[in-house]
Amino acid sequence: MALSSRGGRSRFTLALLILTSLTVLTLDFRGSSAIHSLRNTASTVFSPVRDAASTVFSPVGDAWNGLFHYNDVKKENDRLRAQIDQLQGQTDQNAQAKQALDELTKLQGITQFTALPSVTAQVVAGPLTNFEHTVEIDKGSASGIKVGMPVVTGAGLAGQVVEVQGSRSVIKLLTDPDIVVGIRLTTSGEAGLCHGQGDGKPLLIDAGIDPKVVVPPNELVTTSGEDRATFPPGIPVGNVSKADLSPAQLTQFLTVTPAADLTRLSFVKVLIWEPTP
Amino acid sequence: MTRFTRPAFVVFVMLTLQTTLIAQLDFFGAEADIMMLLPIAAGINGGRDRGAIVGFIAGLSLDLVVHGTPTGFFALGYTLVGYLVGMAQAGVLRAAWWIPVVTAFGSSAVGIVLLAVLGKFLGLEGLFNRHLLTVCVVVAIVNAALVLPMTRIVRWSLPVVTRSGRLVPT
Repeated sequence: MALSSRGGRSRFTLALLILTSLTVLTLDFRGSSAIHSLRNTASTVFSPVRDAASTVFSPVGDAWNGLFHYNDVKKENDRLRAQIDQLQGQTDQNAQAKQALDELTKLQGITQFTALPSVTAQVVAGPLTNFEHTVEIDKGSASGIKVGMPVVTGAGLAGQVVEVQGSRSVIKLLTDPDIVVGIRLTTSGEAGLCHGQGDGKPLLIDAGIDPKVVVPPNELVTTSGEDRATFPPGIPVGNVSKADLSPAQLTQFLTVTPAADLTRLSFVKVLIWEPTP
Repeated sequence: MTRFTRPAFVVFVMLTLQTTLIAQLDFFGAEADIMMLLPIAAGINGGRDRGAIVGFIAGLSLDLVVHGTPTGFFALGYTLVGYLVGMAQAGVLRAAWWIPVVTAFGSSAVGIVLLAVLGKFLGLEGLFNRHLLTVCVVVAIVNAALVLPMTRIVRWSLPVVTRSGRLVPT
């Protein structure tokens, strides 16, 4: 009898907690300001503690990476050295091409994304759990950052600002399946839609590419910047690594390797650009 | 006062460790989930009720500081994990040292799958892939390795209060 009453109480507790969790989830999905401000307050209060603890633990993290990712770092170092040599050769060529491009874009009245004002920020925290694709940067609304602004690295598009506080912002990475980017293939000019597929996986273009379009290997994909786009035009998104026909053969499925290395972000640029409503 | 300050202190320390130290140490691209250890250890020590309540508090604390998941996601997930561990522990008659280790290993793997299922229901895409298996294995191994000291910490932080107001370890 006692056992049964204890079991009944346990089930009641469980039901109450589940109901509370579901209420919190519902309020969050409905964009409740109470939940939003509670989260903001918790973040603001907890941030200094986290910063201090991160500084204390960063040597441990560095030692860990040095121990367990030594070969990766060495390989990357070699690859980067080779890349520097290659890039040094290309610099002169690029300077001429850039001059020509600047003149052309000026004539056409097009704004290049590199000409947009931007805020450079340091990534202060990576994903905190296995279930998110976000990073936190050390600049926020005080630097003019707003929700929806694009985030780039030197290599290309990295993500989008999804949350802003005074001196902090949260960036949703391009690998998050929720981020959809309007893209254009550079050779054919074909426009389509690209989205992430989760951590460590390439991006996927699964809409808009005609099955008859020939996609060369390593084709560069950039943001299309079409009307009401969420990103300005011309930002490199990545390179096509694989092309398949959709099961119904109505479109092509293109696998894209992101241009930006999203696994090791340290500094990013937030473009001060807002999508047109 | 100790009744609340001790568990609050433990949750705070674990939250700080999860979001700083643990977030910097990746094992094959997966992070450990030491916050999940709280409901597991509470479930082992104090049964279903304590497991669920500690899971809810630990999960909600994590929900408030992470950004990529909806608020309430971890609260719901950890509540269920704590309850399930408490339920499983109620059927254990022997008291061998390895039982909490095996329980932590199994419940952590189940907990990660449970979170992925919840995430799917809540519209979080890209969770069901090969990486999920890595996450399950990493979280299960780390939690199994840490569960014994964690159960001691939870026992210290969640004492039973007698009628006279004395604190007795669970």
